[in-house]
Amino acid sequence: MAIDWPKTALEVLNEEPLVVKNPKTWYHIHTYGGWGQFFKGLRNKKILATRCTNPQCGEKRLWLPPRANCPDCWHDMQWVEAPQTGTIYTHSVVTYPGELFKLPPGTPLISVEIEGVCTKLMSWLKEGKPKFGMKIKAVFNTERPTNSILDLAWVPA
Amino acid sequence: MIKFGPGNLRIPKFEKPVYVVAGGLTDYRKKYPEKNTSELCTMALRMAVEENDLKVDPEEFRRMVNWVVYSQFADHFGDQLLAAAKIHDYLGFDPLGNIEVKTGGATGGSAVLAAAQAVASGYADCVPVVGWERMDEVTTKVGNSYIASAACKDFESELGWMYAAYYALMAQRYQYENNVPHETLARIACKNHLYAYYSPFSQNPGKYTVEDILKNDIVSDPLTFLECCVMSVGAAVLIVCDEKVANRLTDRPVRLTAICGGSHTLRTADRRHMPILLLPNETEATYKEYFTHKRTDWPGFSSFLASRMAAYLAYNMAGIKDPVEDFDLLETHDAFTISDVQTYEDIGLRPYGRGREFIESGEAYFEGKLPTNLSGGLIGTMHAVGATGIWQIVEVLWQLQGKYDKFHGDPKMWERYGKKKPADWKSLQLKNPKRACTISHAGTGSHVTCAILEKP
Repeated sequence: MAIDWPKTALEVLNEEPLVVKNPKTWYHIHTYGGWGQFFKGLRNKKILATRCTNPQCGEKRLWLPPRANCPDCWHDMQWVEAPQTGTIYTHSVVTYPGELFKLPPGTPLISVEIEGVCTKLMSWLKEGKPKFGMKIKAVFNTERPTNSILDLAWVPA
Repeated sequence: MIKFGPGNLRIPKFEKPVYVVAGGLTDYRKKYPEKNTSELCTMALRMAVEENDLKVDPEEFRRMVNWVVYSQFADHFGDQLLAAAKIHDYLGFDPLGNIEVKTGGATGGSAVLAAAQAVASGYADCVPVVGWERMDEVTTKVGNSYIASAACKDFESELGWMYAAYYALMAQRYQYENNVPHETLARIACKNHLYAYYSPFSQNPGKYTVEDILKNDIVSDPLTFLECCVMSVGAAVLIVCDEKVANRLTDRPVRLTAICGGSHTLRTADRRHMPILLLPNETEATYKEYFTHKRTDWPGFSSFLASRMAAYLAYNMAGIKDPVEDFDLLETHDAFTISDVQTYEDIGLRPYGRGREFIESGEAYFEGKLPTNLSGGLIGTMHAVGATGIWQIVEVLWQLQGKYDKFHGDPKMWERYGKKKPADWKSLQLKNPKRACTISHAGTGSHVTCAILEKP
C-alpha cells in the first residue's frame, strides 16, 4: 500500500525567490507556579505581595511583582496584602502596541509606587489622564477575568 | 544585588592579549527574501576573510580556525532551533567546537566577550564570531510581540507587547527628572539617520530635520518612529585571535584591551535604590547635590546599572580615566534616542542628569571630540539583533584600521546591495583614531557589555 501525499500545502507567496507561508496555530501551557497566588488574589480584589521571612535579611519591604524566593538571601517569602492606593511614578500612552495586546491602542501604561513596596509595578490606567505623582487606587477585573496581569488596573483616587 | 562585596567588583583580566583583525557585514534590510540565513552568514564571513587584506588565503584561514562563537537573539524569529549547527555546517567548520550565545539585544557583545574569553585563556587562538537575525518571517506587529516576550511575560509583556512602550516609561521619567527638551533627543535621531546616509549597509538612512523627527508618528509617547531602532535582517562576522595569529593575519591588528559585562533586573519595576557606582572620572562630590524631590532614586528608571557596571569594569581593566578624553570614537546601542542619553551618563561622558550636554555640545558629532555612532547606529543603519554588537565592533575596527572609505565609499560596495552611492557622499573616516568603545545592550538594561579597542 503506497502512502498518499500530504493533503495540506504550504501557500506560495512568491516564486522568485521561492517564499512560502509556514502556519503556526498552537498554544503554550504556562504555569505561574509559586506566583499563582497573586493572580488568584486579583479575583478576590486583593493585591498579594510577598515579604522575606528571613529575620536576618536587610530587605523588609514588600515585593510586587511577588517573588517566591528573596533575591537578597534566597529564603522563602510570605504572602502579604499590599495597599490598594499608590502614585504614578511614570507613564506613557502606547499608540502602536504589538500583536496580542488585549487593550485598545491609546491605553495609558503606568508604573505605580506603593508605600512599603520596594518595587514599582507596571500596570495600566483605566480612567483619566496620567500625571506624575497622581494618586490612584486599584480596580479589579472580576467581570471577565483574563487571568493575567491585566486584571489589575488603576483609576484616579 | 544592592550591596557589593569585594569579589563582586573584581576587575577582570585576560591571561593573554586579545586582538581583532577583520570584520564582515551584509547590508541590512527590513525584508531579505533573496537570501536565507545561512547564505547571509556566508556573505559576512567571506567579506571578513576575503576583503580585509589578510595575509593568508581563505583556505589557509579556514585551517587556522579552532573555535567558533554564534550569536542570535531569538529562536522565535528564525523559527529554527540549533540554527548555529546549521550555519556552522554551512560555513564548513565541522567538526570544530562551537557555542551559541544569547543575551537579548546584547547578544553580539556577549558573543565577542565569549570569544575573547576563549582566546585570553588560551583555549583557542583563532575564533570567528558569527551573528545574525532574521526578523522578516513575521509581520512587524508580531515581531514587536516577539521582542516583548523578552520582557517578563508574567508581569509586563501583556502591558503593550511593545518594547518601545517600556522605554517610553523610562523616557517620561527621565524627562520628568532632568527636563530634557524633546528637540535634544531628536538631534540624536537626525545625527544617526544622517550617518546612515553615508553607509551602503544601512536600512533607514535619511536627511531629517529636528522638526521631521518631532512630527513623525508616535509609537508610545514621547518616542516617534524615527527615534526607534529598525527591525532588520542581516549578519555580521568578527575575527578574534591571539597576538601570534593576529600578526600572521594582518599588518593592522587592533587590540581588544577590555570587554566586560553587567546586568540588571529584567523588569525595570524591580530596580531598588542603591548608592551610585562611581567611575574613575567621578567622586562622591560629583553627586553631592544629585538627589532632589524629583530625582528620588538611583538607578531608578533614568539610569542603567548594567551599563554602569560594564563601564566600571572595562574602564578599570583598560586603564581609562576619562572616556571623553581617552576615546576617539564610540558606538552606543541607540535602540531609542532616550536610551542613548541615559547611556551617555552611565558610561561617564557626563555625570548623571547632564547627558543632554554631550549631544548639545556637539561632542557626539563627526567633527566633535568623541564622534558617536558614525556607523549610523541602530536608529539609522541596523538592528539585526544577534549581529548588532558584532557589527558595532566591525565598524570601529575599520575606523581604527583607516578602512572606513574602503567599506563605505567604494561605489561597487553600494552596487553590491542594489544601491547607488549618493552624489553628496562624505567620508566619515576619522584622522588616526587610537582608541574606541562600543556598548551592546539588552532588554531595558538587562545585559550590557562594554568593549574597548586600541591600536597597538
